[in-house]
Amino acid sequence: MKLEIESIDIKDIQKGSKTYADKGVLYINLKELEELILKDSRIKSVDINLIYPGQNVRVLNLMDVIQPRCKIDKIDADFPGFIGKLQIAGSGRTRSLRNVAVLVSNPCTNRKESALLDMAGPIAEMSPYGKMKNVVIAPYVAAGVEERDFENAVKNAGLKTAIYLARGAHQHPVSEVEVYDLDIPNLDRKSNLPRVACYYQLYSPQFDHLAISDPCFYGTDVRNMMPTVIHPNEVLDGGVVGWLAIKALDTYSIQNHGVIKELYRRHGKDLNFVGVVCAVANMEPDARVRSACMAAHQVKNVLGADGVVLIKITGGMPHIDLAMAGEECEKLGVKTAIFTQPLTPFGTLADTILFNVESLDLIILSSATFERTKIPWKAEKFIGGTAETRIFCPDPIVQYASDPLIDIEEYLLPGVLDCTGNARVIVKEY
Amino acid sequence: MAEEKFKAVHYLNQFFGQIGGEGKANTGFMVKEGPVGPGLALQKELGDRAEIVSTVICGDDYFAANPEQCAEEGLKLVKPYHPDLFFAGPAFAAGRYGVACGAMCKAVAGETGIPVITAMYKEAPGLDLYRKYAFICEAPNHARGMNEVLRNMARLAFRIISGEKEMRLLTREPLPKPEEYKYFSRNLLRNEYCEKSIAERSVEKLLAKLRGEPFESEVIPPKFEKVPPPPAIKDLSKCEIALVSEGGLVPKGNPGGLSRRSNLRWGAYEIAPLFRDYEVVHAGYFNDHVAARPDRLVPVDVMKDLVKEGKVGKLHPTYYGTCGCTTVSKRCGEMGDEIAAEMKKRGGISAVILTST
Repeated sequence: MKLEIESIDIKDIQKGSKTYADKGVLYINLKELEELILKDSRIKSVDINLIYPGQNVRVLNLMDVIQPRCKIDKIDADFPGFIGKLQIAGSGRTRSLRNVAVLVSNPCTNRKESALLDMAGPIAEMSPYGKMKNVVIAPYVAAGVEERDFENAVKNAGLKTAIYLARGAHQHPVSEVEVYDLDIPNLDRKSNLPRVACYYQLYSPQFDHLAISDPCFYGTDVRNMMPTVIHPNEVLDGGVVGWLAIKALDTYSIQNHGVIKELYRRHGKDLNFVGVVCAVANMEPDARVRSACMAAHQVKNVLGADGVVLIKITGGMPHIDLAMAGEECEKLGVKTAIFTQPLTPFGTLADTILFNVESLDLIILSSATFERTKIPWKAEKFIGGTAETRIFCPDPIVQYASDPLIDIEEYLLPGVLDCTGNARVIVKEY
Repeated sequence: MAEEKFKAVHYLNQFFGQIGGEGKANTGFMVKEGPVGPGLALQKELGDRAEIVSTVICGDDYFAANPEQCAEEGLKLVKPYHPDLFFAGPAFAAGRYGVACGAMCKAVAGETGIPVITAMYKEAPGLDLYRKYAFICEAPNHARGMNEVLRNMARLAFRIISGEKEMRLLTREPLPKPEEYKYFSRNLLRNEYCEKSIAERSVEKLLAKLRGEPFESEVIPPKFEKVPPPPAIKDLSKCEIALVSEGGLVPKGNPGGLSRRSNLRWGAYEIAPLFRDYEVVHAGYFNDHVAARPDRLVPVDVMKDLVKEGKVGKLHPTYYGTCGCTTVSKRCGEMGDEIAAEMKKRGGISAVILTST
């Protein structure tokens, strides 16, 4: 499968009478975008804002961040299963806009833990999205629409916005073309390069809001998914999206998947990238054992890997599924590098490991996702919420969006930590 | 306008405080004005920016008899000076002195919130007990490194009191880096910015592992020693069984001086008098149920029944007890060795039942 991502560097975004890009400026017909979003009858109205780095703006109740992308050589193929017709993502040509992000806010959310992004102050410094020009959409629910149904509508509105913006730049010259060309069935079998796979833990059901899993894979949820072999391009090109909440993961990060891009970068030089096995964290012990065995088998006997990077999703329980899969891989002779996320701010690094398997001797610190940080910055303008919007904190700390100091866990700051391995972060003993 | 000088108080033991050697280890607290002994060298390192206004001195044995209580007593002598900084030691490898330094630091910090700095050798028993509560600088296991250690202590003190943010931390807290300031990490974990991404590091290290080259795991999980159990007892009716517990059951008055938390001691207690007059010393669980009926922790009643029924040969008349609340696992291993040695000395014991909370 061959995927070409044609990136356009956008320097500025502005309102316009029509949507197009010229000399690095993306002009957006906000009325047209609004009409597009309102085609979904579940949405009564939508606020659309263009925001810029340095502005005193706090975006609240963030559900996702998405990079504007669209297919160039196919029709109705964007984010297949979510928006476009169901088909396999990851081949052909895709347009991508850089330095612009779609921020998707759900001002009607009932979820306690909501992400937020500031365009100035400490959070803007920490997050890559605080340095981009952003289009924020905040839809409001129509009467009689059920909560989870509306969340899906909000997500779709975000994806549609991302597609719309990318389409709008169709005549603009391309800044860079990245080629992701991986013909797995015809990889050189005589090559001396080690064959490396990626075990990609996609989801954990432990956080399910109202006990319903978020659709994140070709338009469906993956709660009971058995390990599944996929081509890495499917992840980069819209087959996988973020959840209906930001938990150290968002669609933008997945579109720029850290480990997949790194394996691609080294492909043909230091290793042969042989594919991806997706799996989920399980609540039941039987399912966990089944998943571990099947995944290891697929890595070894279907993909023929010599080594595997095991990527972890947010949560404590997922460590166990990951470790069991890793242990099975090592038993089959596949060498592992396994991610871990220290969950407490106290103790030694060794104290935080939730598994004790001698063969798992290469453990990578994939950030302390629940680390709390204080943000001493007073927001003046609020989007997707108000000054009175409650900001979540695990203690019974009561804090609101307009407080001059908020105490927040880093997994709720989009782009600061991400489960795909992009963060330049390590955990140290202090 | 000249910057105000910081006020510091310094804690020393009887030897460094120039009272006397081991013979004076039982001396109680005293206070001397200004710096004493190594405090003079410390004052030199502090220069004009801080002044050691007083030195609190106490004998190592006096302190070791009851560290928590002595720390309170010492704290009362520190407070009137309203110090901005508190130094203790350096204690190097000393056991009692190190614990005293750590305990003093913990008490002062707990009450005043000021920076508390001491120094110990990496294997000093005080380190694991107090590293969370004080900034413990690295020290060699001999006093010849005194000046360099004092220099580090002063440097660290000024960094902490400056409130300068550590920008390599995502939280940007004013937390100096342990490697940079040569102190032992205080059991805190923090996200730190790093040149290579998580993805880059994982692939790079996996490639090294695949090539058979040396690689470094970013965490090394604890290695739990596998102790093979001895063969099972064939006939319990011929055996003498001893009871051991970490639940903190001790004779009334706690003559062995076990601590409720971070305890390092164990005791051997005759069961009969113990069960007549006892107390519970353990901060890790709700003691009242054991206090109401100690058999709930040390199952003497059931053992006596089993002996009467002929199912067990004999209940060993001595019970061995410690308090296992938030203590140093290495020391616990040592206590196990010591208890086993005592049992072997007495002879006759075939098996042990260990109860925990």
